[in-house]
Amino acid sequence: MGIPSVAIVISDFYEQETEKALQCGMPGIRTQWIQGPVWAKTREQLRRDVINGNNPISGRPVMKEIVEKFTKPLTAEEKRSGEIKRDRGPETFTGTQEELNKLFLDKRFTDFLPVVLPTKERVDAMLEGTSHDPDEIVGKMSPTNTGHYFEFWTFTVRDVAVNAVMAGCKPEYMPVLLAILSPDPRTGISKEAISISDNGFMGAVVINGNIRDEVGLNYGVGAVGPYALANTTIGRAWTLASINLGNCGKVGTTYMGVIGNQGNLINMVIAENEEKSPFKPFSVRQGFKKGENVVSLFEGWGILSAANWAANAWGKEMDYPNIMKQITKEQGFLFGTIFVLSPPIADFVKAKYNTIAELEDAIAPAPSFGFGGMPKMKPQPGGNAEAPAPKPAPKMMGPRIPVIVTGGTNNNYWSAGGMRYSRSIKIDDWR
Amino acid sequence: MKKYSSAAMVAALCLVFICSFYVFAGQVRAEPCKEKITVLTPLGHPPNIKLKKMAPRLNTLDGKTIYFVDDGFIGGDNLLYEMIDWFKANYPRTNVIYKRKGGMGFEAEDPALWAEMREKADGIIIALGH
Repeated sequence: MGIPSVAIVISDFYEQETEKALQCGMPGIRTQWIQGPVWAKTREQLRRDVINGNNPISGRPVMKEIVEKFTKPLTAEEKRSGEIKRDRGPETFTGTQEELNKLFLDKRFTDFLPVVLPTKERVDAMLEGTSHDPDEIVGKMSPTNTGHYFEFWTFTVRDVAVNAVMAGCKPEYMPVLLAILSPDPRTGISKEAISISDNGFMGAVVINGNIRDEVGLNYGVGAVGPYALANTTIGRAWTLASINLGNCGKVGTTYMGVIGNQGNLINMVIAENEEKSPFKPFSVRQGFKKGENVVSLFEGWGILSAANWAANAWGKEMDYPNIMKQITKEQGFLFGTIFVLSPPIADFVKAKYNTIAELEDAIAPAPSFGFGGMPKMKPQPGGNAEAPAPKPAPKMMGPRIPVIVTGGTNNNYWSAGGMRYSRSIKIDDWR
Repeated sequence: MKKYSSAAMVAALCLVFICSFYVFAGQVRAEPCKEKITVLTPLGHPPNIKLKKMAPRLNTLDGKTIYFVDDGFIGGDNLLYEMIDWFKANYPRTNVIYKRKGGMGFEAEDPALWAEMREKADGIIIALGH
């Protein structure tokens, strides 16, 4: 724009913004660091902490620095132009297993757990799991999903195989993993499992089709947990791929989840229990054929036992659809609502609603999500506020309320949470 | 006889325990594999970075127009109102204008506001990076 500007950022984001500024080609950009948080403070508190306070990084008065950032001439470094060439560093590393394990840990190539070291032989064996050329570019990934904020890293089929080896995957899992990491045809962007967001999101996939048995995915007792090699290592490989292929999960720069999320370790890999479900499979409800191998992507905070919601107080008789309605109302639409039902709970729902669409109509009659749900900002004294008129919230794509059926039949347990559906991908395209 | 049998069983169990201890201890003390192997990098490919020129700075704030742009993060408006009050008190000859950025979310572009600022702004303060 050619106009001198100062961005006001709380100092906890110093490392992240410094890296972001470099990626944007303006390493000397003049950001003003302030003490956070700002949200929830009164104007008096903001005056005390920020306006009359110091920059927590430099220790100098905030407002004095802002004036200087507008008026102090640019340095030679700030005027520098040209291009910074980058590559990913050495293509191979050589050492003993002990040395390499330490190196991978030190370089933050891992999730802090031991990995299977990716020798060429192991990677070649993993590549047998797909007919795709090892040098084919699969997609591009950034820690911010949209990529508006952090740069994209590109990656090949071989790069995916390396991370699959590290996670302990079998070659036959490769089509599933490649489908998860394939780019959204609408944007060309692959979905990361570890978002930069301070929300502390995790990833989830729902897998439908015959491939569930083909690769040994567990959809019985413990379906959502780490109780089968396929569920566990596919989820872990998505995390390792996000760390190494998308530069995700680096605390302070590309990861800012305030509390964090234990689900980032292996994500949620849910194979639907199609055989015990009284409803059409999730993928079929998204327009795919029954039996077709499909993986559907989600992102959000995760799921908890429905026992955590007051609406699900246990009694001798339970009206599960009505409980789902109450939970949906509490959850809101901003970050989505998802239900993971065990087959017995699904049977109770089926007794009242013949299809998931009918259930959705009953529990979520007005689908909408987005910033339309945020608190409306009122103009306040001290500025000529011109808040834009609220726009109608966009229609939600995909399922209104994702309902997944999986797990065992040994009791009436089920889970709910905030997970937003992204898209569904054909796995067989990646065989 | 029964007494001798019990003693023999205890002795045998002790032997098993001792052997197990040495087997276990041997595992703990085992030398790590010294053979060198070569592994592939797990990293993706970062892009090159094109450096951009920063905008020239101002000689003074007197008579200049500074836009205070609220990106919509909760509380950012109050912070900017306080900054505006500070500028009014300390730089009374500086024009201050508050604007709320439009679009969905913090990252969204607001072409109309950008065009307005390109025409009228001498400087921009934008908040809040939370």
